[in-house]
Amino acid sequence: MRVEYINPFVESAFNILKELVGDNITRGEIFLKASSQPVLGVTAIVGLTGDVEGRVLFDMSTKTAISIASIMNGEELKELDELAKATITELANMITAQAVTKLSELGFKFDLTPPTIITGNKMEITDFEVEALIVPMELEHGKLEINVALRERN
Amino acid sequence: MKTKMDFPNVNERKPEGLKDDGKSFRVLIVDDSMFVTKQINQILTSEGFEVVGTAEDGLSGVEKYKELFPNVDIVTMDITMPNMDGVTALEKIMEFDKEAKVIMISALGKQDLVKKSLLLGAKNYIVKPLDRKKVLERVVMTLKKQ
Ligand SMILES: [Mg+2]
Repeated sequence: MRVEYINPFVESAFNILKELVGDNITRGEIFLKASSQPVLGVTAIVGLTGDVEGRVLFDMSTKTAISIASIMNGEELKELDELAKATITELANMITAQAVTKLSELGFKFDLTPPTIITGNKMEITDFEVEALIVPMELEHGKLEINVALRERN
Repeated sequence: MKTKMDFPNVNERKPEGLKDDGKSFRVLIVDDSMFVTKQINQILTSEGFEVVGTAEDGLSGVEKYKELFPNVDIVTMDITMPNMDGVTALEKIMEFDKEAKVIMISALGKQDLVKKSLLLGAKNYIVKPLDRKKVLERVVMTLKKQ
């Protein structure tokens, strides 16, 4: 997978989180993960189809998800309820939309599937034939990992 | 936790959500995201608007509009939704009421669909992420358009 695919996602995540959550955000080192990987607890998945296909995960702990959703709603959410899930889904939506706009400016054309949220502590995601690149983002409210596995369709 | 919303001081000026006769403008929110619906709802009700209906997909949005008509002044319409997308729902609403005031709520990167919506009769659009200023500005602007 080409590393330039992940940068637009990292930049958008940075911008959107800054705007909506307002935290100090630092970007960690990019790393590669093999095809099978545990997720942190709450994961928003967006699928991409077109010139480039695959998926992007926004992965965080349940606690981080609740904190982020609380700030975005301007009220303290106690648990990962429907509203919290809808909030994280919308966050993933906005980040992806901005990233895809950047990627299409670079000449890639594709469509997004609406994000879905999966939750659970002992889950693993398996991607076939493509490795994932991960960029951890450290927020004051915890860590959010951007996990991108895309490949060019041939 | 304190909420970040600032409530307007009604003694200083008339809230944007009130008509000249003091009654509220009536809003229908069509969006499949509970988060976005709540956000729009909070912003508008804090300015005196009345949310008279919400719908989670295009199909029920159109039904809701017909049901409420003529007691609805403005619609906020999400673009990406299950069952029926916002552009199609807009089209159906405009067929039913060519005076309808519909604002599209769009994610970034949907310029083609926004353009199409404006051609189909949408009066305005807002690109997410939403904020108070943006939403009020566009809604007020749209209500003033004839
Ligand atoms: Mg939507």
